[in-house]
Amino acid sequence: MTTPYTGGWMEYAAGEFSLDFRWEVALGEVLVLFGPSGAGKSTILRAIAGLARPIKGRIEIAGQVVYDGDTGAWLPAHRRGVGYLTQGHHLFPHLTADGNIAYGLRGFPQAERERRVRYWCEALQLEGLEQRRPWELSGGQQQRVALARALAPGPNLLLLDEPFSSLDQELRRVLQGELRDMLVQRGVPMVVVTHDREEALALGDRVQVIDQGRTIAEGLPVETLGQTGQSRVARLVGVENLLELEVESRNPADGTMSCCRGDFRLEVPLDQHSSPLYPGRTEEGGTGAAGQGQSAWDRVKVGIRSSDIILAEAEPTGISARNRLQGTVTGVEPRPPGYMVTLDCGLPLNCHITRASLAEMDIAPGRNLWAVIKASSCFLVGE
Amino acid sequence: MGILSRTGAILGGGTALLYCMFIGLPLVALMFKLIQHGGVSEALSGDFAVTALKLTLTTSAISMVLVVLVGTPFAYALARSNSRALKVLDSLVELPIVLPPVVAGVALLMAFGRQGVLGPPLSSLGINLPFTAAAVILAQVFVSAPFYVRAAKIGFQAVAREYEDISQTLGVSPVGTFLRLTAPLAGPSMVTGLALAWARAIAEFGATMMFAGNLTGKTQTLPLAIMTALQSNLADALALSLMLLAGAFVILLALGAATRREWQGRI
Repeated sequence: MTTPYTGGWMEYAAGEFSLDFRWEVALGEVLVLFGPSGAGKSTILRAIAGLARPIKGRIEIAGQVVYDGDTGAWLPAHRRGVGYLTQGHHLFPHLTADGNIAYGLRGFPQAERERRVRYWCEALQLEGLEQRRPWELSGGQQQRVALARALAPGPNLLLLDEPFSSLDQELRRVLQGELRDMLVQRGVPMVVVTHDREEALALGDRVQVIDQGRTIAEGLPVETLGQTGQSRVARLVGVENLLELEVESRNPADGTMSCCRGDFRLEVPLDQHSSPLYPGRTEEGGTGAAGQGQSAWDRVKVGIRSSDIILAEAEPTGISARNRLQGTVTGVEPRPPGYMVTLDCGLPLNCHITRASLAEMDIAPGRNLWAVIKASSCFLVGE
Repeated sequence: MGILSRTGAILGGGTALLYCMFIGLPLVALMFKLIQHGGVSEALSGDFAVTALKLTLTTSAISMVLVVLVGTPFAYALARSNSRALKVLDSLVELPIVLPPVVAGVALLMAFGRQGVLGPPLSSLGINLPFTAAAVILAQVFVSAPFYVRAAKIGFQAVAREYEDISQTLGVSPVGTFLRLTAPLAGPSMVTGLALAWARAIAEFGATMMFAGNLTGKTQTLPLAIMTALQSNLADALALSLMLLAGAFVILLALGAATRREWQGRI
């Protein structure tokens, strides 16, 4: 048996905004659409759900064509069999919790309706809350009811639009885990929209990074959102340090190269000479790069995540990290769950530390500190 | 207590008293005079009052059915559509509320009267609207519909679109979504609007007078009957007035009860 295809492509336009998107999701797979707000992620979900109509394209859900721009085929939202979960839970306020869950079950016989409500209440730990009104439930319970409501009719595809953004972090993690287990186990494919990197990593089997209506990167979440190769992606996923440096020397034996700007010096992983990002560059060009003078490939952009930088009160010794930079604290800002410390080491570095570290080290502007960065925590970013 | 708040209390309390007296005194006077003239029962036992009451209830009931049937989809469109034409229309919906009813009556005559724009084609079909019960209904719909449309529109607007979106993804058609979700959530607003519209329809006088006339048993609704009675039999006029006043009270109280929902403010 071949697995029914779920995916397609679409073009969409509204005013200045345009969208050009291609997607596919396998049974039991979680596709994450990651990007900033206004990137078009929600519009994509709405088009898949049948709530917004693209101008061109083709959408298939579980093998059924629900939209085809060429033939004009269009299946309205209520006949697509798609579960849709919004940012706010949007529970129907005039119904109880089980009334909400049973809302989409009108087409089933009474007994089956009751069975499904019971089943999902149990699966999502909602027993005893059936008669509660939406506002008598906690945030997490509300989101569980919304999830049960979306799943009860047995959708072929689940669409989640920032489903957990209104919940606190702890709860979010729990629900993400539960949701993943439950759906992967049942083989319901899922498309999740988020601008939260943690959520993308926690939920996604695959990620597509969306910016201005286009997919600018895609792949495994850890790879795509981790060591990212594009500065646009880097900015989107929250790499707080993007430094433009000059290559001073390359050390292929160590797999590193030394970069600088003024007095600022940083050891970073060796670049890929054969990379299409550096057209015309030859293999041997790498070793003799030092002293070659300024050329396009001797300027690099280096990304460092703020949480990958360690701060020390004195120059650390006997440590494997390649980069030890002295600097002065120029700013301290709360950035929950911790603080963002800006350290001027010739170039400003943003370092994210916990509240406890901030208090313990008594960090304040004007303080002299050392930043410690592993070479492998620095990654090269291409445009 | 500061000087400002004390001034405020005196000013607020004083004006409240003045307001209540101004509204209350005529109402008390009405009842006082009614008792002086021998009570309600006698006046209401006559054909005159019963006929007017029956006509008023029938015509206003039909008017409300028309208002709901046409006004509900219209109000929904006003609440949801982005079309520019509807936006313009939206600002004109209330026109009949501010229009003097007499002008509404003249306008209706000019449209449907014998000499009106649609008069000749209608009468060639054998339809003569002026001075019939149908004219009473037209006049009532004309002046009362905006109350319902306006309130229903506000009610629909208060229902976030996401609710309807989710309902549809749960397999419920747009019509089903309206019946099972939007209408119940907008219910209190719709009921309020309908009650106000109904009260306005029952009270309708000016337009009816101009367009439907004052024919006993045919077009003479309660307000018109009161005016007629006032010229001959004050007791009847007082009794009929009291009936309308009591009706208004009942509507107000029922409104409070019918529109209270525990989920109010949580949509």
